Order: sequence, then C-alpha cells, then structure tokens
Amino acid sequence: MDDFRLQSGGRPSDGGLPARRAVMRWAWRLFRREWRQQFLILALITVAVAATVLGSTVAVNDPPPKDAGFGTAQYSISFDPYGSKAQTVVTKVEHDGTVQLIENETFSIPGTINTYQLRSQAAHGPYGGPMLSLVSGHFPSSANEVAVTSGVASAFRLSIGKTWDVGGLDRHVVGIVQNPQSLLDAFALVVPGQVANPSEVTALFDVPRNDLRSIDKVLQANVPSSTVSSPASVAASNPLNPETISLAALVLGMLLIALVSIGGFTVLAQRRMRSIGMLESIGATDRHVRLVVSANGTVVGVVGSILGFIIGFAGWLLYRPSFEQSAHHIVGMFALPWLVVLIAMVLAIVAAYFASSRPARAVTKVPIVHALSGRPAPPRQIHRSIVPGIVFLVAAFLLLGYSGSTGGGDGNGGAPELLLGLVLLMPGLILLAPFFLSLTERVSRRAPIASRLALRDLARYRARSGSALSAISIGVLISVIVILASASRFSNVFDYAGPNLASNQIALHTGFPPQGVTIVHRNSKGQLVRVRHHKTETATPAQLSSGAEQIAKGLGGHLVALESPNAQLNGTQGGRSWSGQIYVATPQLLRAFGISASEINPKALVLTSRPGLAGVSGLSMDFGTSKQPVGQGGPAGGIKSPLIQEVSALPAGTSAPNTVITEYAMKKFHISESLSDWLVLGNQSFTAAQISSAQLTAASQQLQVESRNDIPSGSTIINWATLFGILIALGVLAMSVGLVRSETSGELRTLAATGASSYTRRTLTAVTAGALGFLGALLGVVGGYVAMIGWLRSNSLNGGISALANVPFGDLMLILFGMPAIAAAVGWLLASREPAVLGRQPIE
Amino acid sequence: MSMLELRKISKSYGQGANEVDALTDIDLSVERGSLVAIMGPSGSGKSTLLTIAGSLEEPTSGDVVIDGVRLSGMSRNDKARLRRRSIGYVFQDFNLLAGLTAVENVSLPLELDGVSLKKARSKGMEALERLGLGDRATNYPDQLSGGERQRVAIARAVVGERSLLLADEPSGALDSLNGEAVMRMILSACHGGVAAVVVTHDAKLASWADRVVFLRDGKAVDETLPPPTPEELLAPDVPNPA
Repeated sequence: MDDFRLQSGGRPSDGGLPARRAVMRWAWRLFRREWRQQFLILALITVAVAATVLGSTVAVNDPPPKDAGFGTAQYSISFDPYGSKAQTVVTKVEHDGTVQLIENETFSIPGTINTYQLRSQAAHGPYGGPMLSLVSGHFPSSANEVAVTSGVASAFRLSIGKTWDVGGLDRHVVGIVQNPQSLLDAFALVVPGQVANPSEVTALFDVPRNDLRSIDKVLQANVPSSTVSSPASVAASNPLNPETISLAALVLGMLLIALVSIGGFTVLAQRRMRSIGMLESIGATDRHVRLVVSANGTVVGVVGSILGFIIGFAGWLLYRPSFEQSAHHIVGMFALPWLVVLIAMVLAIVAAYFASSRPARAVTKVPIVHALSGRPAPPRQIHRSIVPGIVFLVAAFLLLGYSGSTGGGDGNGGAPELLLGLVLLMPGLILLAPFFLSLTERVSRRAPIASRLALRDLARYRARSGSALSAISIGVLISVIVILASASRFSNVFDYAGPNLASNQIALHTGFPPQGVTIVHRNSKGQLVRVRHHKTETATPAQLSSGAEQIAKGLGGHLVALESPNAQLNGTQGGRSWSGQIYVATPQLLRAFGISASEINPKALVLTSRPGLAGVSGLSMDFGTSKQPVGQGGPAGGIKSPLIQEVSALPAGTSAPNTVITEYAMKKFHISESLSDWLVLGNQSFTAAQISSAQLTAASQQLQVESRNDIPSGSTIINWATLFGILIALGVLAMSVGLVRSETSGELRTLAATGASSYTRRTLTAVTAGALGFLGALLGVVGGYVAMIGWLRSNSLNGGISALANVPFGDLMLILFGMPAIAAAVGWLLASREPAVLGRQPIE
Repeated sequence: MSMLELRKISKSYGQGANEVDALTDIDLSVERGSLVAIMGPSGSGKSTLLTIAGSLEEPTSGDVVIDGVRLSGMSRNDKARLRRRSIGYVFQDFNLLAGLTAVENVSLPLELDGVSLKKARSKGMEALERLGLGDRATNYPDQLSGGERQRVAIARAVVGERSLLLADEPSGALDSLNGEAVMRMILSACHGGVAAVVVTHDAKLASWADRVVFLRDGKAVDETLPPPTPEELLAPDVPNPA
C-alpha cells in the first residue's frame, strides 16, 4: 500500500482542482446535451424565480412609496388649518433644522363633484423634489405663472401658453407637472406665497433626533391634533410587510420545488448510471461522482434562477406602464426588492443543489459493474418506521394546541408556537409519505395486472414517488388548513364575516363635520365666485338626506334609506358575540331587493340573509323606548329566540342590511326607529372614480362613504384554496409521474414486447397519477385536520372543535377524489406512445 | 514480480439456495510485457474475472495483487486512485463519455488524478496520435466510427503510466479488420512493458496472446500457449495440444 501511495507524484489523492474542473466540465456538457430531460425541473425553477421577481416587485411597489408625502425629508407635520399656533411650531422647527412648507387650498371643479388643489411649493425646495416632476414646459417662477397636472389641464381645457384665472389672479400656464408618488394628485402649482387661504399646510423637515423631542413638545402644546410622522412610522402602521410575505411564499415554494426535484434528479442519475459507471471505472472517486450529480443540480439551479430573473425582469418592464396606472404612482425601472430577488435566486440554487445531493449520495452506492450494465439497482427493501412522522405530527398538534390556548383562549400571543407547529407538520408529512406508499402494495394485490404493476412500482420506487407524494401532500395541507380555518370562521352566523358590501353598493353614514373646501361657481353674471365652506357647520337630518340623494344622483344609483330600530340582537355562538347593525324591513328596503310581502311570514320578527341563523338557538332581541334607547341603561324589553325567517334576497354584506326587523315586530313591541344610514344601489359595479367623487361630495355633506372593502367572502377563500391545492397537486403530478414511470421504462418495453396494448400503457400512467394524487390528498387532509383540531381544541374564540362541523364537503371531495380523477384522466390521455426502443436499453 | 496476481479468487452471487458460483479458486499471474487471453463459453465467468482483476468488483474470497499491492482492505477511493494510475480498462462497447471529445475522454483519467489540464491534454493528444487519431481529437464519440471509438478507448486505457491493461471483448463490436487492428495496438502496448489481459470469444484473436486461459463454469480448466498456426502444426517437432 505504501508503495502505491508513493506513486502519487505529490498530487492530491482526490485529484484536487484539475479533477473537480474536469468533472464540472462534464456536468456542464451533460446539462447542455440533456437539458430537455431536465426541462421540467428547469422550467419549475425558472417559473418560480420569475414569479417571485415579478410578484414581489408588484407587491412591494403597489402601496405608495414609503417616502410618499415626505420627499427626501425625514419628518413631516401636517397642519389643518394653518394658524398662528402652527406657525409657532414651524418657527421652532426652523430654529432646529431646515423646513420646506407646502401649502394647499382645495377648490371644487365647477359642474362636477371633483376637486383640485392650488399648491404652493418651491419647485427646487430642499425636500420636495421626489413629489414633483415636470412633464412638459417649465415650473412657475413668478406669481403670474402656474403649472398644472394633466387632470386639471383636461378639466379646465388648459394647455401651455393659455391664461387661467386661478386663486383670484390670471396666470399663464407654463408647464404640465405631476406628483410621481401619487398620479391621482390633481393640483395647480404656483410659487410659494401664492395660496391665500391654505386649508392644509405640510412642513417637511430634517432635524437631529435629539431635537425631535423638543419639537414634539411644542407641537403637543400648540397643535395637539397633529403628530410628527416619518416614513418609518408610516411603514410600521402596516403590519403586512409585502417583502416578508414574498419571502414566506418563496421559502414554501422552494421547499415544494426541492421535493419535486429530488425525484427528477434521481431519475436523471439513473439514466446516467452507465456514464457514471464508466467514470468510476477509469478512476473517479465517490466524491467525483457525487460532484457530477450535485454539480448538475447546481447548474440547473443557476441556469433556472438566471433565466427566471431575466423573464421576471422582462415581465416587470412590460407590465410597469400599466402597473403605474393602477398603482397611481411612478415606479422606477429598477425598483425591485433586490434582497428578495437575491434570496430567491440563491434559494433556487440551494434547493436544486440539495435536491440533487441525495441522489448523488445514492448513486455512489451502486456497484460499478451494476452501473456499467445500465441496469437500475434493485430497489432495496427498507422498512421506514412511521414513528418519526407521528412524533412530528404529535409535536405539531401540541404546539398548535398551546398556541390556540394563549391569550385566554383567543389564540393571540401564540404566533411563534403557531408557526413552529405549522412548520413541524411538513417533516411529519414527508416522513409519513413512505408508509402511505407502502399501502399501495397491499391494495394492489387483487387489482388487474396494469393497475397492480403501477401500484406496486409506487411502493417499490419510493425514492422517486415519496418526494412527489410529500410535495403534493404539503400543497394539499396548506389548502386544507385554509379551507377548514375559513369554514370555521365564516360559518359563525352571529359574528358575521366577509365583504361589507357588493361592488354595486355604497353605504352612506352620518359622518364628521365637512373638511374646508372652497366651492367655485358662476354667478348670474357668469363670473366665477369662490365661497369657502368651514367645518364648523353641522348638517340637519334633512340636509343629510339631501346630501345622500345628491350622491346617489351623481352615481346614477337608487337610494334606499336605512332605518335603525331602537333594538338589538344579542347572543353568543362559538365564543363570538353578535355583530352587525340591524335595520328595519321597511317596504322601500324590501322592494329594493325584490322581496314581496307575500314571501314574508306574517309572524316573523326578524328577516335575515345569514345562512343558518333561523335554526340557531341562544339569540335574543332586546329593544328600548324613545326615552330609554337600547344599549343605554339596559333594554326596556326583550324576547328570547325570536322567530327568524331566512330571506336569501336580502344583501349578504356585513355592512349591508343583512338582518332586518319586520314592521310586524316594530309595531308589536312599539319599537322606534331613526334614520342614520343610506344604501346606494347601482346597476353595475361602481368605479374607483365614482367612489372618489362620492367621497368628495360626502366630505362636504357631513356624510361618510363606505364602499366595498377587500375582505373576501368565505366561499371565495375556500374556492381559491381548493383551486390552489388542486393546481399544486396536478403541477407536481405533471412533473413527477413521467419521472416515476421512466424508472420502469424497461418494464414498459417488456410489456410492449409481450403484446401489451396502449390500454395497458394508459392504465399504468393513469393509475400511477391517480394513486399518487389520492395518497397526497389523503395525507394532506389528515395533516390539515391534525393542525386544525390541534389549534381549535383549546381555542374558545373560534368555537372549539365544534367549529369544524361546518366542513365544506364539496371542496374536500374535490381535492380528495376530483383531483386524483383529473390526474388519472390526463395521465390516460397523454400516455399512449409506444417506447421508441423495444429490444434494448439505448446505448450512450 | 508479476504485474497482476489473482490468488484463489472465488466469486458467488446470491445467498442460500439461490447462490451461484461464478468463479472458483482461480489463480492467474500476468507478467509485465505479457498478453494473456481468457476464453470460455458464455457464463463461464470471464468478464467477472476481469472486473475483479480491475478492482471494479470484490471477490468473495481470494486476493488480487496489482504491482505488489493487495486490493483487499483498500478503500473505495484508494481503488479509484489505483484504477486511474495503474489500470487501463477497455470495454466491448467502448464506454466513452458522450459529453466529452476524444481527447477529453483520453485525458480524463489524468485530470481526475490532478494533472493540469494543459499537461493532461498534451498527453492525451500524444496517445491519440500514436493510435492515428490525432485529427479526430476534437470529435465527440457519436461522431466517430466503431473502430475509432475503440481506438480512443485504448488510448484512454494506456495514457499516462498505466502498467495493466484489461480488455473485455475489445473487438466484440468491430469487424474482423478493426478487431485485428485493436489487438495489434494492445500487443504494441505490451511490447512497451504493459501487462495485458484480454477476454475474447475469438480463437483467432486469442492466438495473438502469450498465454490463453480457458474457463468453464467458473473454473480454469486449461492454461496453454496460443493455438498453433497451420505452419506450426505441420512442423514435425510440435506436439499435438489435444
């Protein structure tokens, strides 16, 4: 042995860098020659990185920029109105640092309910640069010059060179400008000092942090309603950080990709077995062989991540113009969340590397003679205990239970345990996958030959099918958790959740005194007259109704007055109390929703669109008198379990009149009512511009506008979650069934040679896809129930385990049986091609 | 000292009732510069013997000694190092790596051993030129004919300072003309001091060897000089081997 070692000539025992370079070169050549065989993995990584680049860029840039309204300043204070006390604050700030004032006076656009602002801002001030850009012309430089936004130019038919009477003075329009941080910002820009009655003044400033306290003191002493804001304080008010969400989705996505890729690289390594045997026969060490496979994985990861970045970035460049229009602010070409992009690219490479390292280890264990023969190594009979998987599930169950019990049973404060519990579910499912696969062998015993072979192969080649099964089950797990959590939350008819209104509905509520707005109109002589409205006025009920009518007219909608009864519903279901305003079922309201009197039970006290409310116990109706309103000093009377009739024609939104007291009940219990809200019903969805106009009008009418919010309905969430689970499962199956079947391509050749028809080939693929899909769905549903039972069993707020009684049966059946059926059908349709080489393995 | 020594080599596959003896107590010694042919019917254990001699497979019992070094107890990595430094292996179906050019295939064992790319390429080119393939060096295996591929495989087997050449049916996939050319190359390597063992079915090619070992059912049933040529048979002082 010593003699042999002496022959090394001082070269490293494993060949060192030259050897690694030679192996890497070969891996690269293999990738170039065989990239089609790695297309699925490559496509998967490319799409994931491209989606991350585009998705995270859109998510991060959709909200206004974090420095919107600050320019380059660190702090801002808004004064409304700007008086002597505000001036005191500004003097203090000027003493400590540099200040730029932006003054605004709001004007109405004659003949419309829209407004614009006359704004004085130094075009080249110390901080306001990012809030102002020139589209054409030049900035105003004297009192008789003005620059306008394109919206204002359009409304007043202005162009550069025209003269415009604005702010009590004829001014030359010298430029078209915009606020890059808010393209909806409609204003007319004049030089500082040209706004006579500013309705709002914003002070942008930078001061040392130490001076901020003294400024804040002065501010609180003089204008306590204002606060010092900074980009950080504005960002902190938004708990959902798009970058964090992008990263969480990215990590989960890459885990799924890694699981799918393991199967892909295993089959690839199997296909290259002969080449690897050749390499070993001429002296490659195990390390070299591992390097071939893992270098291939790394190359796939690198190429996939670079391609993904290029595609994602190109997609962003193409989408950016329309995105800017929808986001209403200018977004830079390179305004990508670079950290997220970098992490995505690195994770893609790491995922591909780790996915290939397991088959790389396995391939070194194949004897060289076996490898050279190109025969697949016989599957080893490994008994994988289900105990580790169950231990992980139990640990997840306990952690989720602990999380659910925190905060006195409402689950608040148990976020770390919740996260850890959900994370532990995944290794639990991965470790249980081999056991579930072993079940297929037992099931197959009495199946017809093609099905038996397919099911048995799934059990025999668990290295490939196991990773695919894990990926499917994790996708289904996420989907099932969302479905069950949504079903348990949205099924509570007392604490009704969901969107507040339909998209063709707007609710009007009595609001605060109107903001100061200068109304411009023409008098009888045709002259423009400015009338300033101050916010000290208080509207009468008649004025409010008139205002509501004006808004409904402006929207072209039908106005329904909503009478509030001096009554309320009380009760608790699943730990949650009754929520939501109730109204009176006036004839006008019923007519508006097409409900005829004959449809109503004459003895019904309450009508509702909340499904299941009619059969629920524990609800009471309390009512007061004109002297003693309900809820103030206790009810004057009440009735337990009032007769409730479900009327599906009533609107379903949480702010809509989804539950109303009948006129019969109002008369029987002498309940008084008052008018406080209105509902505007349109023939079609209201546009953002219509809503914006309604808000502006409402602001001057002491009304508040409530339009449809972004909260989805329970069925929307459940349907999307079902679709997500099915698509993930089908995607994984599309990528893995071919790989699993290629493992046994030799058997397929034998079958074809012995006369098996396309029926047999189709059945093999269909059963493989269907069985893998069903097992993944089953495992995911089991995991989902473990998670939800674990969490709900100790969570009183969400009604405990009984909340799971409202299972969306159809969606779960779709995942459990529909998805595998689709997979089997697609597998059947796509698997009819006869193997190209029947007699032998293709030679390298 | 023999370049290759096989001492009481046995190899069996399977276990219990399924156990099959592929080789039983084989002894073989190959000196430097000599060419040994191994013949025998299919399933007689010829290829198994060669793979054991080439450290590609472990014997069930017995010792393999290469250039005085026993393989038993050697780690996988040490065996790999031995293969790339001392043993050249030629296969029936060439076993060239499809992603590498002819010269890259030939220089690969040197590169795996840590020889710099430039030096390895230079030695690879030398080996190819010796075998008349200098102008085909940058071609990929699928751009070469069967005979050319086998010549590249031989160049890879002799490149560097290999002292043991093992060839398993090196002419099996070639026509007779190319088969003879291959044997001539192997013989030429032997003349340069390389010990060679060739497995073949072809008695005509075996006649090139210094010695022929006959295997039947895993046992060496005969070991003899090459079959005599017609001229030798006609000579009065040559005994009939039968």
